[in-house]
Amino acid sequence: MASTEKITVYNVADLRATTDDALLNYLNSLGLIQSHTLLDTRLALGFSAFLLSAACFAWDYKFGFESTKQYTLVAVALYTLLNGALTYWIMFVERGTIYAGSTKDGKTKIRVISDSKKPKTKGEAPVYKLRIDVEDVKTKKTQKIELERKFSEWFDANGRFVAAPFQTVLAQGVPLVGKLDPKRAVAAAPASGGQGLTKEQFAETPGYTAEILDAIASGLGESSTTATDQGAGKKRRK
Amino acid sequence: MLSALANPRQAAVQLMNFGLILSTAFMMWKGLSVISDSPSPIVVVLSGSMEPAFQRGDLLFLWNRNFVAETSVGEVVVYNVKGKDIPIVHRIVRKFGKGPEAKLLTKGDNNVSDDTELYASGQDYLVRKDIIGSVFAYIPFVGYVTILLSEHPWLKTVMLGLMGLVVVLQRE
Repeated sequence: MASTEKITVYNVADLRATTDDALLNYLNSLGLIQSHTLLDTRLALGFSAFLLSAACFAWDYKFGFESTKQYTLVAVALYTLLNGALTYWIMFVERGTIYAGSTKDGKTKIRVISDSKKPKTKGEAPVYKLRIDVEDVKTKKTQKIELERKFSEWFDANGRFVAAPFQTVLAQGVPLVGKLDPKRAVAAAPASGGQGLTKEQFAETPGYTAEILDAIASGLGESSTTATDQGAGKKRRK
Repeated sequence: MLSALANPRQAAVQLMNFGLILSTAFMMWKGLSVISDSPSPIVVVLSGSMEPAFQRGDLLFLWNRNFVAETSVGEVVVYNVKGKDIPIVHRIVRKFGKGPEAKLLTKGDNNVSDDTELYASGQDYLVRKDIIGSVFAYIPFVGYVTILLSEHPWLKTVMLGLMGLVVVLQRE
């Protein structure tokens, strides 16, 4: 259940990165089809800017400044435009999107933007903020969902990620995910003021074996008995 | 941390971020170049020949366009001697004639004699196109870093290595 890699629970960036990765793996495991258009556009903008400056470097190096300065002027202007477009894309189009995808039938689109917030009072766990847009492709209607949950709900004290409670948060908070993963949607009680889900809460839930419960409680479980957990252990870094 | 390599897109993003840092720095430099019309718009003073005006390590900003007036006597200019690649910062002390073919003589404020000895053999004077810019602003001492870097080349390797490492390891 838990990933084998441990992180430092005091490092909010690490908490968020690990959770982001788990979220991608979870959504993909539910049969959603991830779209990479946003990131690919960013890569295209960034690399064309880089190639332009590499070309500029090459002609400057080979032919000197005086004979090429007209081209350099054009290259500088173009580079500024490309970089401006890239900044615009990152700030106003991607806006921190970590997942964009659609259902297999293509009728619904989903987009997830994540952020993290440091706690206001000392000693409390930092908060994971999710903004999820679910769009019906036909009617163009967008359902906007915002979730704010403490990282401590799905990280144990040792810094291991525990998939089940995190997936439950998503399945209960987002109807589309709940529909794709009904088992998680009915699991456990709904959010209770940001408290972590206790072993007792899980015990009331059908579909959990004692073995899984122990694994969740200890945060050390290695067995993967449910399909939804298959990717949770894989780590990805941005 | 190195698991980024497992995902080609994430690896590409990191590579791109690192590349963009380099290329943005380069393009900013080139932007200054085309605006000031100087191949090297910022130079560092390497010798004490212009003391007390400029010390070793001062950072000079150059301007190489003549919108208002021609480059003339009294201006501190940076010039390249034919065949040598080291720019020299000295003051124009004599000017004969007008326009791009005017004959210019330079001298370091702190030097006993003028620059005729510094010029290439057979060259007795400078013309306008030998000059890569006139000094119009300076920041004292901050250029000393580059003197250190050129006198101790291994520092460059260390710096580049550290920068690369930080970019690769950081996710935010």
